[in-house]
Amino acid sequence: MVDVNMLDKVQKINPEQCLPVGVTSNTIISGSQPCPLFLEPDEFRCQFDFFYEEEGDGLFIHRVNSEDIIYSPRPRKAKLIGKYLMGECLGEGSYGKVKEVLDSETLCRRAVKILKQKRLKRIPNGEQNVQREIEILRRLRHPNVIQLVDVIHNEEKQKMYLVMEYCVGGLQEMLDTAPDKKFPEWQAHGYMCQLLDGLEYLHGQGTIHKDIKPSNLLLTTGGVLKISDFGVAERLDYFAKDDTCRTSQGSPAFQPPEIANGVESFSGYKVDVWSSGVTLFNITTGKFPFKGDNIYRLFENIGKGVFTVPRNVPSPLANLIQGMLQMDPNERFGVQEVKRHPWIKRKPPMVGREVPLPPLPDSSDELRSMTVIPYLDAMYNPMESDEDDERSEAGEEEQSEVNNYGNLSSFPVIDENEPLDVNQPNVQSSHLEVERPVFGLGDDLDRNRKSSRLRRLSPASCKQQ
Amino acid sequence: MRVILCGSRDQEPQAEQMSTLAQEFYHFNLFLQVVNNLRILDSEAVEDVLEIFKSLLKRAIGPRTPTLDYISNKTEVLFILLKGYENHEVALKSGLLLRECIRYEPLAKIILKPPQFYDFFTYLEMPTHEIVSDVFSTFKDLLTRHKALCSCFLEENYQQFFSRYKGLMDSSNGFIKKQSVKLLGELLLNRHNFVMMTRYINNPENLKLVMNLLRDKDDEVQFEAFHVFKIFVANPNKAQAIFDVLEKDKNKLLDLINQFHTHRTEDEQFNDEKNYLIAQIQEL
Repeated sequence: MVDVNMLDKVQKINPEQCLPVGVTSNTIISGSQPCPLFLEPDEFRCQFDFFYEEEGDGLFIHRVNSEDIIYSPRPRKAKLIGKYLMGECLGEGSYGKVKEVLDSETLCRRAVKILKQKRLKRIPNGEQNVQREIEILRRLRHPNVIQLVDVIHNEEKQKMYLVMEYCVGGLQEMLDTAPDKKFPEWQAHGYMCQLLDGLEYLHGQGTIHKDIKPSNLLLTTGGVLKISDFGVAERLDYFAKDDTCRTSQGSPAFQPPEIANGVESFSGYKVDVWSSGVTLFNITTGKFPFKGDNIYRLFENIGKGVFTVPRNVPSPLANLIQGMLQMDPNERFGVQEVKRHPWIKRKPPMVGREVPLPPLPDSSDELRSMTVIPYLDAMYNPMESDEDDERSEAGEEEQSEVNNYGNLSSFPVIDENEPLDVNQPNVQSSHLEVERPVFGLGDDLDRNRKSSRLRRLSPASCKQQ
Repeated sequence: MRVILCGSRDQEPQAEQMSTLAQEFYHFNLFLQVVNNLRILDSEAVEDVLEIFKSLLKRAIGPRTPTLDYISNKTEVLFILLKGYENHEVALKSGLLLRECIRYEPLAKIILKPPQFYDFFTYLEMPTHEIVSDVFSTFKDLLTRHKALCSCFLEENYQQFFSRYKGLMDSSNGFIKKQSVKLLGELLLNRHNFVMMTRYINNPENLKLVMNLLRDKDDEVQFEAFHVFKIFVANPNKAQAIFDVLEKDKNKLLDLINQFHTHRTEDEQFNDEKNYLIAQIQEL
């Protein structure tokens, strides 16, 4: 029996080092012999009767019962970016990592999108898209739209940090682990209603998201849906008579026929309705209305606009999906029509088991509790052994960013017996209020921004259209 | 009566009792009795009433919403609540319940109609600050909550609405003045109200009004007015009349905007907009 998961973990071992890093002092391997800390690889092999297979690049596979292995937690080093204490990685996008952080002033749980300029330059329109995303996000404030809390530039490191509201996970992850890759009707209904509220607001602000899909719909700890990722969104010119758009860079499977067929200009709002329709289809059936082996085939099929709703879908829902996936944008429902649809208005009975959020990969924590805690701990009890630190951190890119222990005094003292109740992200940080949109709404008059050690939102990045 | 209300609160979760209670409510039109007797209810009892209203309004059987249907047919409940603003004893209590009702589109629709809606303008002139601010929050909810409904209302009743609204922006009550200018900005900037917006910003009278507000003695009114004024200026398709007004006072405007709120150095966006406006006006 080869434990496939091992492969992943074993790969992380640095082959150059003679130390089997996976087997540190805290690691217990089957058998009760005292475990020597550092062994030459050969010695290591004979002492433990492992099955192995060596490939050219030094990759090998152990045969070990997974329950016999306990990995030592990686030694942690507390790191502050601005006033944010970094936690574990939550996910990785094409632009860079997303990590959990803790606002050390307000103790709010946040997520930070780390963008590396170098990487951005390699992505077509990368830099532009990020700038636009910031522009758009700064002007939005709605319970169902992800909120941008802070932007930090670090010119020296050529990095940018977008601090956002914390979300525990997204619909896609949940779908991936659900039995039929779908939600029970009532659960999908709840998400759909929130998505519509968010969309209504966005459209009211002249913002078209253009990339609605389950992986861009996140959830807070309180189960509130947040529309996120405005990387390809578009803001209509305020005086534009209608919602005509010309470009779209959204995900292929969620694109409407007008885009698949390469029409030059199209209604932006209806694009969002279509992709919400595909999303609804997907989360209620576990399937996609249109398929294709490659993007050409896919677009060909979407372009024809012919699809079938599985027979077991109840008729009000099927009717709504048909309405949202009308090939002709003029006949397609608008957000208002969708909101008034009987399936939306009626609350389905709570039949079927709720699909929960799975634990993060590499973790067994079903509750996805705060990952910053060990770093907080490390902040107070810095490691005795520096050697340990160096070894484990060698591969960490983010290392030595800002190791600011000097800031400890400003940190509230936390009783270990009384863990922080940080699962309620409702506490609002007040320092970056939504800017009054140039041509949009802003509720807050209070726009005093605090200055920070690192430069926030450079004037150049705030230029209006 | 209070006993029934308070007692019912504990039993709320039980569907059967809930539905019996609701039936009783409909049968005896208890809504009407409650709103007629708000005066004798103390604030704690009003809290209870609010909770009961909330749960009854939320009630849905399949696609039907019996309470909403019921009240839509017996609209006097809403009108009594609205009239409640005239009586300072019950004004705040009525306001609380009324705002709960207008969260639902069918009920908001009943109030957001001439002539009853225009009562708000009368209530906004009342002397008591607490009541006026309560009236204003109901007023604002009505105009912003249900987007499609509001934009319809504003389009259909454009003339009369804005002739009354002008009065608010010229109110002797500083609070109302500031809030109404702010709300105007919000209404204009919401895309749902696009038709109304184009109409509004092409009327030179409106521009003059806003320009006067830019010189209001209240700092905050000026600032809110700025955010309305910018829409007039940024409009790429200005009507000739708007053009004329702006051009006539070009130099004065430039001076005004150059000097405008120079203390707001922190606000990058505001300053960007200011520079943008200056450039726009210079180009005229």
